[in-house]
Amino acid sequence: MTAREKVFSGIKSALAPLPEREARPAVPHGVADPQWLAGEADNVALFKKRAKVAGTLCFDTPGGCLSWLYEQQAKTVYLPEALASLDAKFAEFVQLTHDYTRGRVDEIDAALTLAHGAIAETGTIILTDESTPDRLAALAPWTHIAVVRKDTIHRSVADALAAMPDDPNIIWVTGPSKTADVEGILIQGVHGPGVQGCLLV
Amino acid sequence: MPCTTAMAKQLIDTYVAELPPTVQKAVHQSTATTTEKRYQLLGDDFTDSDALRKLAGSIRQHTLEHLDTYLAQAEESLTARGAKVHYAVTADDACRAVTEILLSAGITKVVKSKSMVTEEIHLNDYLANHGIESVESDLGEYIVQIDGDHPSHIVRPIIHKTRGDIARSFEREGLGDYNDDPETITRRARKFMRGKYLEAGAGITGANFVTADTGRLVLVTNEGNSRFCLAPAKVHIALVGIEKVVPSDADLAVLLNLLGRSATGQQLTVYTEFINGPRRHDRPSGPEQMHVVFVDNRRTEVLASDCKEILRCIRCGACLNVCPVYRQASGHAYRSVYPGPVGAVLSPLLAGDKFKELADLPKASSLCGACNEVCPVDIPIPDLLLRLRRRAHEEHVPSPGTPPMAGFALLGSHPLIWRSAMTFGAAKDYLPLDKMPVPYLGSWLKTRTLPKWRGGKFRTWMKSRHGRNGGNGK
Repeated sequence: MTAREKVFSGIKSALAPLPEREARPAVPHGVADPQWLAGEADNVALFKKRAKVAGTLCFDTPGGCLSWLYEQQAKTVYLPEALASLDAKFAEFVQLTHDYTRGRVDEIDAALTLAHGAIAETGTIILTDESTPDRLAALAPWTHIAVVRKDTIHRSVADALAAMPDDPNIIWVTGPSKTADVEGILIQGVHGPGVQGCLLV
Repeated sequence: MPCTTAMAKQLIDTYVAELPPTVQKAVHQSTATTTEKRYQLLGDDFTDSDALRKLAGSIRQHTLEHLDTYLAQAEESLTARGAKVHYAVTADDACRAVTEILLSAGITKVVKSKSMVTEEIHLNDYLANHGIESVESDLGEYIVQIDGDHPSHIVRPIIHKTRGDIARSFEREGLGDYNDDPETITRRARKFMRGKYLEAGAGITGANFVTADTGRLVLVTNEGNSRFCLAPAKVHIALVGIEKVVPSDADLAVLLNLLGRSATGQQLTVYTEFINGPRRHDRPSGPEQMHVVFVDNRRTEVLASDCKEILRCIRCGACLNVCPVYRQASGHAYRSVYPGPVGAVLSPLLAGDKFKELADLPKASSLCGACNEVCPVDIPIPDLLLRLRRRAHEEHVPSPGTPPMAGFALLGSHPLIWRSAMTFGAAKDYLPLDKMPVPYLGSWLKTRTLPKWRGGKFRTWMKSRHGRNGGNGK
């Protein structure tokens, strides 16, 4: 008997004596939505509010984002090909790179990447391998700013799950990387970004 | 006298006695705070969070009772997307499968993200014995690893360590001079771990859920370490307990909403990752190979037992945080990978023929029921503890520290004897109970004072009440 056969025969003989089996419960769409969600009319406004709760900075204009980066003294900034339209504006103030190789992990101060979408309910940014092909770029720099198109913001977690894209890797980012492992004290920027931002376009 | 007092203790009491007061205080404070945050957030967000817990419980129970179907479906979904699925009957099989995958790809360095099942099968030791370096990337798990220690909480592995302990460990490992500032500790780990991520040939993860219809492995972390394990590595190996399957993405809306809130009082964990395959020609970012090892390791035995509900568990740790026994005892007192109320059920069941060694754990509970009330999948933990106590009794497992209850059984099952005892009970107020040579009584009274006798009045009260309300008073 193969390991697979052993496991399945174990499961089948465990379940065989059950007189009846638990039926599949109905899971109505939105059953786990927070009660306050219905009162929120505007997805963009809600996203901004919830992103703030999660600790994500929101920028309304590329200029606002750029001046914030400038204030933070970010020198080298990664911009992927997909955001080439921002090149000219950014190149005036920071040193741009379109290349994010393994060897340069710590040389880049901030990275902008294109998000697949977002979730208003939780202030979450959605990244996929299609929209954000370089996983390290969205993770390794101290500052990561995801560019989110306002028309790609889902209202709820349930909505986002109902519209999952065909992608081998989808990641939801709700705030900066954090830990409370040392005596329960919250520290941001463990392995991933210490500053998580979002530029709405 | 000390001898009789020790006899009157359960095994878990000896761990409580040895726990430094600072650790006990830290465990209590941190678990109490998390419990409060959970309660607050669920209350703010849902009008009926109990209904949601019960729905989640039903989703999980349904999946378990159709596990043959859903597990096969998950396998099919994963295989169709280019992942390779393996099965492991025992812990040893699982470790061997991982080692074979690594060695055949010529990989000798791996990074790991936190996973309870890999703790359960002692994967790190196995890999080390086969010449493979495996580094835990979760900050807490890394500290546990360098200290040769064991996690003491499912979600917060180093809840039992102080910043000073950690600073000394980091100094010993050459991560810098002694510095106990939590931010410095975290930065040093960040810097050290980057090198490890980049040189690792494979990333090893667990999975919080696997969806049957889309073959998605769901991984939640706050640190972002699982993502880092899977960004530069060539091979991804996921070890997944066979019970982790859920039918579909829609079920995740309920389970993810409860998991973050129950575990850490967060609406969602910072990183929620969905993975259903290796890189493909149109998505060339991720690992070239993805392997999923479904681990049985006695789960089918648990499924066949009268405690199968424990397999609903989504490892949030809420039952640990709320448990008065865990708060006093911390995690190592449970002498197994899974501590707290969930561990008191799961650990003896997963122990197989070593059941007897852990059969005292189900007794280390006052059956207060708090664990059931906070459980996001509504596991009736107190009922399961009782079933395991019965099993231990039926298998004649000696139970040191448990007072003989035969006298009470006689009293409680004979109304006449009970009534007379109630009538004469007041006599106890005049007896020097603390001086009597009964070790259980002595150890109990050492920390408690018995109230004045008020027994025997309930029946009279009940009768007169029935009389007043026109009841028949029978």
